[in-house]
Amino acid sequence: MTALDHAPPTAPPHDPPPPATARGRAWRIARPVLTYTAMVVVALLVLVPFAWMLSAALKRDNEVFTVPIQWIPDELRWSNFVEIWDRIPLAAYLGNSLFLSVTITLLQVLTGSFAAYGFAKVRFPGRNALFLMYIGTIAVPWQAYMVPQYIMMQKMELTNTYWSIILLQAFGAFGVFLMRQYYTSIPDELCEAARIDGLSEYGIYRRIILPLSKPALASLALLTFVSTWNDYMGPFIYLTSNELWTVQLGLRSFVGQYDAEYAMIMTGAVLSVLPILLVFLLGQRYFIRGIATTGLKG
Amino acid sequence: MMTPNKPRAGRRGRVRGALVGLTALSLVAAGCGSGEPADESGPVTLSVAVWNLAGTPEFQAVFDAFEAANPDVTVQPVDILAADYPTKVTTMLAGGDTTDVITMKNVIDYARYAGRGQLADVTDLAKGKENGDLAGLDAFDQEGKYFALPYRQDFWLLYYNKKMFDEAGVAHPENMTWDQYADTAKKLTKEADGKKVYGTYHHTWRSVVHAIAAAQNDGDQITGDFEFFADQYEMALDLQKSGAALDFGSATSQQASYRTMFETGATAMLPMGTWYTAGILAAKKKGDSAVEWGIAPMPQRPGASGVTTFGSPTAFAVNKNAKHTETARKFVEFAAGVEGAKAITKVGVLPALQTDEITKLYASLEGMPSGEQTTKALSPDKTVLEMPVSEHTADVDTILKEEHDLIMVGEKSVEEGIRTMRDRVKKVID
Amino acid sequence: MANAVTHTKPPPEAPPRGPAQRRRKRRNTLIGWSFILPNFLGFALFTLVPVIAAFALAFMEWDSYRAPEWIGLDNFAEMLEDENFRVALGNTLYYAAGHIPLTMVAALGLAIVLNRKIRGVGFFRTAAFFPYVTSLVAVAVVWNMLFNPTVGPVNQFLGAIGVGDPPGWVASTDWAMPAVIITSVWRDMGYYMVLYLAGLQSIPEEYYEAARVDGANAWHRFWHITLPSLRPTTFFVLVMLTIQSFKVLDLIVVMTNGGPGRSTLVLSQLVYREGITEGHFGYSSAIALVLFVIVLSVTVLQFRLNERRNA
Repeated sequence: MTALDHAPPTAPPHDPPPPATARGRAWRIARPVLTYTAMVVVALLVLVPFAWMLSAALKRDNEVFTVPIQWIPDELRWSNFVEIWDRIPLAAYLGNSLFLSVTITLLQVLTGSFAAYGFAKVRFPGRNALFLMYIGTIAVPWQAYMVPQYIMMQKMELTNTYWSIILLQAFGAFGVFLMRQYYTSIPDELCEAARIDGLSEYGIYRRIILPLSKPALASLALLTFVSTWNDYMGPFIYLTSNELWTVQLGLRSFVGQYDAEYAMIMTGAVLSVLPILLVFLLGQRYFIRGIATTGLKG
Repeated sequence: MMTPNKPRAGRRGRVRGALVGLTALSLVAAGCGSGEPADESGPVTLSVAVWNLAGTPEFQAVFDAFEAANPDVTVQPVDILAADYPTKVTTMLAGGDTTDVITMKNVIDYARYAGRGQLADVTDLAKGKENGDLAGLDAFDQEGKYFALPYRQDFWLLYYNKKMFDEAGVAHPENMTWDQYADTAKKLTKEADGKKVYGTYHHTWRSVVHAIAAAQNDGDQITGDFEFFADQYEMALDLQKSGAALDFGSATSQQASYRTMFETGATAMLPMGTWYTAGILAAKKKGDSAVEWGIAPMPQRPGASGVTTFGSPTAFAVNKNAKHTETARKFVEFAAGVEGAKAITKVGVLPALQTDEITKLYASLEGMPSGEQTTKALSPDKTVLEMPVSEHTADVDTILKEEHDLIMVGEKSVEEGIRTMRDRVKKVID
Repeated sequence: MANAVTHTKPPPEAPPRGPAQRRRKRRNTLIGWSFILPNFLGFALFTLVPVIAAFALAFMEWDSYRAPEWIGLDNFAEMLEDENFRVALGNTLYYAAGHIPLTMVAALGLAIVLNRKIRGVGFFRTAAFFPYVTSLVAVAVVWNMLFNPTVGPVNQFLGAIGVGDPPGWVASTDWAMPAVIITSVWRDMGYYMVLYLAGLQSIPEEYYEAARVDGANAWHRFWHITLPSLRPTTFFVLVMLTIQSFKVLDLIVVMTNGGPGRSTLVLSQLVYREGITEGHFGYSSAIALVLFVIVLSVTVLQFRLNERRNA
């Protein structure tokens, strides 16, 4: 398929070649240095709250919320990072979170991108109304239908199983909407040409559209993974048995009726961010120009 | 609250009826065979909904004692996160959950569950206890019926840092008035090693002003006339203005923790509930805090006779849909009785059953401040319920909290704030 | 509304008269549904049905346990009288008006800066996304510290540049919402940056080459190529941002909990409070229904505008 040609990555955009004066040369060296310095400074500022998390993770519980903030604890308690594994079954919780996040992300990406093709590239009556309904449900706060939903789940005897969370979150409207928008930027002419070549709609989806939408699939997978990983209320309501708990529930088990073990919470929070970090670093590599390329209209 | 329209007859009425019926069918879970009573003659596994099992040792203490007394019974805790316990219990009960015993975290939630008919009647178990030693029982009186029995009763007293009093040459607090308390706080405020030490710390809860004012002035926090808050506000505002107490704005926005304030020596005094004793005992044992602490009764209004404070009970209730109603009732009665009380006293929690024997047992716990003073602080003459229960409690509570914020950050004067409270609360009540 | 959603120009559709056309139409419907069905089944059963049940409850009184009771429009009448509702609605609109444009600009700016092939771009992208995964408690504490009226760096900076009477931020009813908006923009920009980054990849390099040959400068290229090509993404971001802004809850609960007073009380918080906390599930559903209608109207409007721009 011509559309799939991977054009060699073109050189990064350059401004017109600078005049070869001394000043120009100096600027050519200084500019990236300045840009980098500025970017590093901004990045560090953005990370300040994370630094607070890290510092809290190294304190005693009753040192976390000092007024004013104490950024560097008197005594660095690295032992917190050892202690937390004894205090709660963190490994099991991480495993549970991983299982749920991966399963839900896979289902969401599969069914979402599939359904999006129907909404973006196949014309049939009632399509747009149906689509608006999808989006409409995103606009309803979960707190409003949480109890009816729970009662339904209870009647199907799915509460306190992973099924409840998976069924609830894997078929959300978010993925359908995201993928549909991306597909609309892929020109219909491409599909038309493939239809004339004798490809079925399923063939077009699989062999043309899907390979073209890697960046969108990556962002959908990334965002779904992160929101499932960080979700607290859903698992809290549906998963009662301790052995089903996710890491977010585990962290909140350090909150008591009147006070909380904040150092432990922050230690756990730092640990639970690491997998996300890894997933993000892997996923963001797909945001590279050159994957989707020639033949696309704007 | 709202008068339902009588559905008119005719087609529209039928449609309406169908809609309601359909919704009801899909939503009403109660009684759909979920509450099949199980055989309770053989070994029984009793499920009990509790919060934060690992961090709340009193639960395991009661369970162990109950299992020892009833060898046929195994208690299976249903561990729910403390932060959102009411949310989960509300949802579970709506779904017709069959957990046998439900812990009542506060009286307001209790009134709601009981009002909906989600709890089993235990009036017969409460009989004979009304005028006895079971503190906080009247809070569970629902028009003469009881749907839960308290097993734990917390009330407020004054924690203080002995060392700071000694260093400043100030006598330890005994029976202070609020004026003496404010003076003492100012005297104890200092700058040490570049670190500010406050004379006292008022946590951001509105009860620190409202509930104590209501208790000591015979005030009612529901009626809408809140003039009795004024003196308490003047005192609290004066303390934060003079720098003898951390200002409210910083405390809320920095999520100041009262434990941190007291255990790291950032404050010399701390009005707080009895639950905190278990916290300090644990921190001291673990070596997380070096504070030398003592307890005294809450300060009083000038000329008051006896010690008046406020508090709130915690209770066990039997689920209406319980699988093992008989065993559940037995458990509730056990926890409220002497054996239950002894069990939780041993882990540093003050039980609802308050006899001399229990108070002595409590005061003699390892690590508790010794002496006459402690026993005295632990036996107030009168403990008033923190917030009275009525159908408007939740609404009023929200309003009072919002206006409390505004007075404490200085956006409204005390007078203006109290006036808005009255206006808004009256609107809700009418 | 039937056509409101289409993005591309509809091909001249002849009225379905001939049997061949009808057959084709039916075939298309079948194919369309076959794509949608796997997702739709789960969606309809586990989201749509409960949502509809909740909307039905808006016309009833329900305590979550006993049978619901039909009360017609009483919940909505109550809402008109309810000061909390008015305050929360106003605050929600305020929040949305600030949060939507600011986040959009910040996210797009980040995406464009971080779409270049520069060394360490992975690190910078990760840093930009990090606020979104940082624990909310940490976010609240640090931002509240930055905004502290007396000792916070924000006001110290404002003082240094000569602002005589700097705002009280989270300790004042007038400035708490701006403080919340700034924090939420900071938190969400990385999230929407990811969506923009994906969108940017769909713009063919040739467009830029051609423009460069024509001598267009960077601003021209952004205005005439990047922005128009990003329209589907921008539309998605706009709709999602609108929805998320109207539903905002978590950050506000942790940062100000609606205070001081009611200055940052938002609709979702009211839905939660009236329903789960106070047990007025009918009234809570009615508020949710109103929220839904507002968001849906805004969304349909955005669809229409988007359509017109594409026409």
